[in-house]
Amino acid sequence: MKAYNKEILQDAAHRLLFDMSNDEYDTLVNEFDIIIKQMNVIGSNSSIDNYEPMIFPFECNTTFLREDIAAEPLTREEALRNANHKAGGQIKLPKVVQ
Amino acid sequence: MIKNYCELSIEQLHDLLVKKEVTPLMLAQQAIALAKLDKSNAIEYLMEKEALEFAKTLSEPEVDNMLWGIPFIIKDNFSTKNVPTCASSNVLSGYVPVYDATVIRKLKEKKAVAICKTTLDELAMGGTGITGHLGVTFNPHDKTHSRLVGGSSCGSAALTAAGVVPFALGSDTGDSVRKPASYAGLVGFKPTWSRISRFGLFPFAPSLDTVGFFTRNVADLSYLLEATAGRDDNDSTSSSRLVDNYHDQINKPVKGFKVAVINQILQVIKDQDIKNSFTKTIEDLRQKGVVVDYVDMDMSILSSLYPTYFVISCAEATSNNANLDGIKFGPYYDAKSYEEVMMNARTKGFSKFIKRRFVFGSFALMSENQNDLFIRAQKNRRRIVEAVNKILENYDFIYLPAAPSIAPKFTDKSDALSDEYLIADNHLCIGNFTGLPSLTLPIGKKDGMPFGANITGRAFEEGKVMQICSAIEETTGLKGLYAKGE
Repeated sequence: MKAYNKEILQDAAHRLLFDMSNDEYDTLVNEFDIIIKQMNVIGSNSSIDNYEPMIFPFECNTTFLREDIAAEPLTREEALRNANHKAGGQIKLPKVVQ
Repeated sequence: MIKNYCELSIEQLHDLLVKKEVTPLMLAQQAIALAKLDKSNAIEYLMEKEALEFAKTLSEPEVDNMLWGIPFIIKDNFSTKNVPTCASSNVLSGYVPVYDATVIRKLKEKKAVAICKTTLDELAMGGTGITGHLGVTFNPHDKTHSRLVGGSSCGSAALTAAGVVPFALGSDTGDSVRKPASYAGLVGFKPTWSRISRFGLFPFAPSLDTVGFFTRNVADLSYLLEATAGRDDNDSTSSSRLVDNYHDQINKPVKGFKVAVINQILQVIKDQDIKNSFTKTIEDLRQKGVVVDYVDMDMSILSSLYPTYFVISCAEATSNNANLDGIKFGPYYDAKSYEEVMMNARTKGFSKFIKRRFVFGSFALMSENQNDLFIRAQKNRRRIVEAVNKILENYDFIYLPAAPSIAPKFTDKSDALSDEYLIADNHLCIGNFTGLPSLTLPIGKKDGMPFGANITGRAFEEGKVMQICSAIEETTGLKGLYAKGE
């Protein structure tokens, strides 16, 4: 497992596109200490790798295709209703190509 | 003095509505008035205009529809068309959904009347009711406002416990309905995973998330589950199994049912009053012909519940909330690049508590860490589930105190490494790991505060769970409990 410290966690936060205060990274390191210790205890059980990872509690698959029925999609007005920066009937963002 | 109809059950209100002694409009007006007076800090958005307009259209009672005209409240992580919905996070301030969640649509079709959206721990990620953007939510049973009501469905729990409405919608990923139910003296229920569609419920950890309900008696739950369960093509994980007639099972005899109490969980609970009340309910069940045995479970499995839950839920939440970017919805903060726009929206929009969970989830999902964290947690989940299912091979139910204490004070601290915290305070997540139906109901009071016990049954046996819980409810004298106002 990758070692963790304040810088690594800051990098992780930036990859998630947010930042935190310095104090928060200190708190986070302390929380990591506790939870990683607990996960290591689980890992120390030699039988743990005999178990298949469980994703969902039980199988509940949808194995058929829906009928191809035309339905009313979102209107442009609805799609844009919650966007707070828009122009010309579209969401507006800063230029990607300068 | 004006009678508070909203303190009554769904069954009682239905009777009055059918006899035309009350109207949906009267109930909606009363629920809104009570909600406005409530001091627990539970409301995100009061649907006064919407509720009154809808209630006015309900004139002729539907005798066979138990939910006709019944007022209810909605946790603010359910999508509600044209009604602001922010999941108690500033990153979604001002968001107004363009569609209803399936469970909302079904309740509307039954002509239940939504009164308000209720607050929660931010994005449903918390168990205390203190992390939402409105601040702390108070427990209505504690008039000094020094005790929490629990979370994440804190607002729904507080208003139902205060007698504002007979039922509320919540969601349960780790214990977010069943734990506050214990602290607030309510019936709190999560059905089998996949039993109720989650379309329109903001996802926290989809492998664990379930729609849930608060009521003040067990029988009312049966009507709610019958109305909302079933396959929904908008949720590919929803089950196609037929929906049972749950109400028919409620009052059937429970003689011969077999109940398991897990020794190791009971042993780490220190509160003797809770243990005594719990033991009393066991004696009462035995009087009714129920077999109750004390069984063992590996302590190392029980100690692993919380870290396993934490890793899986944080990892799933991290990816599920990647769409909260301040562009399609939520406050927009202008910048020189779209990455900066997102960085600003997410830095300003998420609380510090949520950010720490996201960072942990991201760390657990990094390729070099997955085997030691996320996949290890998934393997351990199967180990937990196999141990629980082994017990349920021989027993119909697992029965335990829902929490090790009455609602804690805001100033109380817990030791994150103690067995009481790791096991007694967090064992309800077993119901989410396994996907099994699980119900908390009040069994006693201490210092004026209620506490509850929890029954977990086999998959899709919700009717049986309600049946045994109804038998417990008969003996506690706490059916219909609510906190009377000042």
